[in-house]
Order: sequence, then structure tokens, then C-alpha cells
Amino acid sequence: MNRVKGGERLAEGRRKGALRDMAHLVIGPLTRIFGHAYLRVEAEEGMSPGVRFSAFGYRGFEMMARGVHVDNLPPLVSRICGPDSLFHQAAACLAVEKALGMEAPPAARSLRELALWAQLFERHAVSLSVHGLPDLLFPSSDPGLRNLVSIYRVDEEVVRRLLSLKSLGTAVLRETGGSTVHGVNFRPGGVVRDLSAESRERLADRLRSGESLLLETARLVKLLLRRSEETVRRAGSIEGSFLAEHDPGGMGITGGGPALFTPGTEAEGPRPVEDLGERLREEPSSSGHVIYAGLEGTGALTVGPLARVNVNGRYGTPRADEELSELKETWGFPIRYPMVAHALRMLEMLHAWERMLELLREPSRGTLGETLNPGAGKAMVYIEAPEGGLVYGVELGEKGLVEKLSIVSPLQFNLRNLEKSLAEAFASVEKEGQERVSDVLHMVVRAYSPCVPCGVH
Amino acid sequence: MDIALLSLSSCLGCQMAFLSLEEYLYELIGENRVVYAPFLMDKKELDHADLALVEGTVRNTEHFLRAREIRERADRVVALGTCACFGGVQGLADLYPEPRLLRSRFGDTAFEGGPQGVRRLLPLDSFIRVDAYLPGCPPVPALIEKFLRAAVSGDRLSREGATVCAECAVTSPPLPQPGPRRLTEGSGEPGKCLLDSGFFCLGPLTRDGCGALCPSGMGVPCRGCRGPSGRVLERAGADVEAETVRRLARATGKKEEEIRAGVPDPVHTYYLFCLAEPLLRKRRSGGTSPYLHRLGE
Repeated sequence: MNRVKGGERLAEGRRKGALRDMAHLVIGPLTRIFGHAYLRVEAEEGMSPGVRFSAFGYRGFEMMARGVHVDNLPPLVSRICGPDSLFHQAAACLAVEKALGMEAPPAARSLRELALWAQLFERHAVSLSVHGLPDLLFPSSDPGLRNLVSIYRVDEEVVRRLLSLKSLGTAVLRETGGSTVHGVNFRPGGVVRDLSAESRERLADRLRSGESLLLETARLVKLLLRRSEETVRRAGSIEGSFLAEHDPGGMGITGGGPALFTPGTEAEGPRPVEDLGERLREEPSSSGHVIYAGLEGTGALTVGPLARVNVNGRYGTPRADEELSELKETWGFPIRYPMVAHALRMLEMLHAWERMLELLREPSRGTLGETLNPGAGKAMVYIEAPEGGLVYGVELGEKGLVEKLSIVSPLQFNLRNLEKSLAEAFASVEKEGQERVSDVLHMVVRAYSPCVPCGVH
Repeated sequence: MDIALLSLSSCLGCQMAFLSLEEYLYELIGENRVVYAPFLMDKKELDHADLALVEGTVRNTEHFLRAREIRERADRVVALGTCACFGGVQGLADLYPEPRLLRSRFGDTAFEGGPQGVRRLLPLDSFIRVDAYLPGCPPVPALIEKFLRAAVSGDRLSREGATVCAECAVTSPPLPQPGPRRLTEGSGEPGKCLLDSGFFCLGPLTRDGCGALCPSGMGVPCRGCRGPSGRVLERAGADVEAETVRRLARATGKKEEEIRAGVPDPVHTYYLFCLAEPLLRKRRSGGTSPYLHRLGE
């Protein structure tokens, strides 16, 4: 057995074509983000510098899913991403149901929605408290000290309060999904288990107990962003169109269908994308395993919290909309600054909190799941994951096995604009030294909160 | 004790479970025990750790170099989660050669200085020496806490290697039952054994420690996310598929051939979390005893 020697051969191979040797400047590995990635700054003489977001390690989930029975599909795709696990499960279930020409019953859809809001809430809480907020709280301190561990040493209470927000989402996830990370309640055709009336009441009480903390944190994030206005503007603004699910009732996750909004066309409103499958384009990047994605004829797209608010104009729940109107006054509307996404995540948490309370009040009625009749079919669905559009396409064979699975993740849609924002930020701090460059570029990445595991699925 | 926490190729689920430790997380942070965790902190390189928790699999040279660096700088390395212990769901990639996987996704794209992929998907201890294992997808926070409390005080928990069934609070329904069946055909009767009810439940062959949350708490068959039990790994011929088929034949009153014929995706049904586990392919060097000795929970 000679595995280590084999590994050394791999190491030698890597040295020959090492990532660090190929770029003019490599920043990384990036820290306080979801996953492992580098930034490569490419500066050619006479050209404005470009910045590439580079992540390797494609795992091959689309191939792994070939031949899988639809019953095994949710636990499989769940492992693409722990923080977004239920979104992958939901997209897979919805695609299978659409391919078979059926729909999960209302009680199942309601329970799925509750669990998805809980995971969005939890993911945003981590994105803010663990990744984004330390930069805004202590912008002039050593970047090495801007983290929960260091902050805890000087102010225990702040860290406890921030992480207790995550715990609120986790509590709902645990009860609705049976697990804190990879929930097991979703299945094609519906859900397996309902929430008892006692569980609903207990969770509602728990959520209500977090109300003042949620509102205080929302105000804090808005205040910190105003204080960091220079950094916000350095990260540039987004040009081009926004893609998000459009729901006249307010921001949703799985119900409305995708729509495009292009600033300057407010009078026309968002344009529904009815031919998603035909317009979807993917283009590999030579600098990593995350493939650029877009829609034919639209140029660079933005998905995620900015796109959701720009497409829908409101959240549809009173607290979140009240906070949003103040944010619009400060940063204008449509909102184009990537760093304002930190505040929008906070507002989405508020919206998720309000929606969770509404859904917990709805008593479950009727069946939780339909029996699936295996058969051939093909479908594509678009849902809103925490950082934007998640597309699942499935082709099922006669026996109900998956013949083909295709996935497009939010990072793929945002990659071009992320790299554009990074290039703008780099140009504005280039002369301030490498440490400052690294610090500011990290902040830009955290504003986009990219999910690398989803990107290299 | 200085603790490091890092990921190789993974879903970050174990890191999310770590963040769900609640009070114990504050205890660890408060005692300055977390010295390196790229998910949480800006420190780019590990200087030294007494205990390194490594999540995920080695998919390419960059992962391998990172794993080797951690091995050199940590006194003890723990394979955290089922990916690191058994290859996990990511081990299914081993169904295809790496070049074919990449071609299916990227065509002929040439990558500038990208790391080279590994030839086989294997657990972490196929690449570096591992001192202890904590399987689970992810391990439940209570198990992580129990493990770390023992490690911090210099102990290692010892488990007898029971199965999920030992923790599952269900009773057996009258046999025979309809099946074999899956959740897409409907749920089982609450409180009744799912395997005896005709479902593909891997509880009898899967390592315990999760509290049987899926079968007992949710009515969802165990899919084996904690990996094979000690008995399955230790005993030659204890095959997950063969044993499940035998038990389902008993539960449904059907012939084993009939059960097998009704499973068009045996790899996903029986080996979703452990296809890359060399013991199941009888190719882990040194036999089973060193591995079982190091089960550290």
C-alpha cells in the first residue's frame, strides 16, 4: 500500500502548475466565507486590472445522480451544501414533481416553506454574524482580530446575541426537518411528518422571544453601513439586470417564477422569464471550477438579496417593509451597492421571521404527501436560495430514475458581477498596500456571501 | 488544548454543526481553544494545534497538501464527519473516472494552474495518518460536544459499536408487510419498525450515536449517514446490501431475488455514504483492527 507516495506524486504535479505561480497576485485562501477559494489579480500593462474568483474541487453531483431513484435524490443533493441543504432538496423535489405533472399538497408546501425560511434565516445569520459584521464593527482594527473569537474576549454579550439569532433559525430547522443541518422531512410528492400543535406553539414562542434582538440588530447593521459609506462606495455599484422570483404578494421562495428587472425600466416592471431553459447559458471559466451562468441577451446578472428587493420592490410583511423604506431613503432605489446586501440580509431575516410566525399559525389540513407514480418526464424549476436563484433541471426515465440532472447555483449567476466589483475595489485601493487590498477585497467577497460548495457542486 | 477546524472538499455541514454547539461553543471560544478555523477567523495558516478536526474528502492536490500540512502541524488529527471517515456522499464520484467527471462539466476547458484531481475517492486516512474518527453527516452537536469534552480532558470515548437500532424506539408490526417500498409511495405507521414495515432502512447496519433521529423521531428510514457499524466493517462478508435484502425478504415474505430486482439503484440505496470506504472493498491496508481501535467517539 503506497498511498502517501501516491499523494506525493500529486503534490509534485501541483507544484508544477501551482495556482500561486500563475497569477500576478494571489489573495487567499479567503477566510470567513462559505468554502475555500482564492482571488487572482491579473494586471497586464496598459490594461485595467482584472480579479478572478478562483475555486477548484468540482464534485460531480450531476453525474452522481444519474440512475438514482427519485426517493434517494433529496438526501443526495442535500450534501452539495450544508448551509443551503434544504434549498437543494426543495428544488430537486419540485423538479421531480413538475416532471411527473403533479404538485405536493398544500400542507406539505406550507411546511416546506416554513423550513426554507428557517434555513434562509440561519444562513443569513451566519453570513452576517460570523463573516460580514466583524468588518463593519471594527473596520480599523487588525483584520486578524475581526472575528467572533476575538470579539468574545472583549465583549461576550455581543457574540452571544449575534449567535442567538442563528439559534432561532436552527431551532425551527431541527423541529421541521428532524436535523440541524441535513433535514430529512422533504420527499418528492410532499413531506413525511407534520409539526404537532405543541411544536408550533413552542417554536412561535421561541421566535417571538427574539423580536427585539432582531429589530435591534437590523438597526445596528443599517447604522454600521452608513458609518462605512466610503467602503460601501469603494466596492462599486452593480450595472445590468437583476433576476429573482417575482411574487406580487411579496418576496417568496418557490411560488412566483423568475423575472428580470433592469434599472431604468421601472415603468414596465419586472419581465417574467418564461423560457428559462432555452435562455440559460453556462460558460466555463479557465480560472476555476465555478461556471459563469446567465440568460441569453441580458449580460451580467445579479441574483440574491439585492435582486429580490429590486424585482419585488417590497417584502410583503410589515416590519421588513418598514425597515426597507428607511434603507431606500439612504441608498436609493433600485439598490445597486453590493455591500448594502448585508442590511438586506438582515431585512430578509426579519421577513423570514414574520413569515415563519404566519406559517406556524396555519393549522395543518389534509394529506402531507402524494404517492408518486414513476414515469418519464422532464422539467426545470427556479427557486430562491439564500444567495439567489437556484435552478434544477431533471430528466426522468420510464422507471422514474433520474437520467439527467443539471444544477445552476447562485454563485454562478453572480460570478461576473462579483469579479467586476472586485476589480473596481482593487483599482480604488491598489496604491494603499497589499494588506489593505486584501482587506477590502475580502470585504467585497463577504458582501456577496458566495457559496463555494454550491458553486463547485 | 488548541483546536483547529478546517474543511477539505465538503458541504460545510460539519462546520454548521460545530456552530450549533451553543453553550459549549462559548466555552471553547472563552477558553481560547479555537486557534485556527478559516470559516470563522482570518488566520491563513495553522502554526500548531493539539487537535485538528478535518472535515471533507481529498479531491485534488491542493486538498492533499492542506491535509498533509495539518498532519505535520497538529499533534492529533480527527476525521470529522462521514466524508472524512468513509468518503461520504462525495464518494459516489468514484463511480466515474475523474477525467470523465470533469469533461462532463467543463468540456475541453484548460484550467490555468488548477490543482490536479485524485485518481480515487478515498477516506482521509488513505492520505494522512488519522488519530480518531467522528462520523456523522454531520455528527449531531451533542456527539461533537461529548467527543471534544473527552479530548480536551485527554480521554477518548469508547463505544462498543452498536447500531442505530439500539437507539430506535419502535416496535415491530405484524409480518408480512407490503414492500419493499420507499417514502415516495407513502409513509410508514408511526412508532413501527420501518425495516419490518418493508422500507429500505439501514439501521441494523449503521453506526449508532445519532439517537436514531430519522427512523425514531421522523419516520424516515436510516440511510446510513453515520457509516457502517463496527460489525459490518470487521466481519468479512457482512455486506450492507445482502443483509438488507435478507431482512426485507423476511419482512415482506418475498424472495431475495425479487427484492433485488426491485432496486434499480443499489449503489445509492445501500452505499450512499460509504461507497469509498476501503474496508467494504477489502482494500484498506493493515486490515480492520487499526481502524476500529481508533474509533474515537
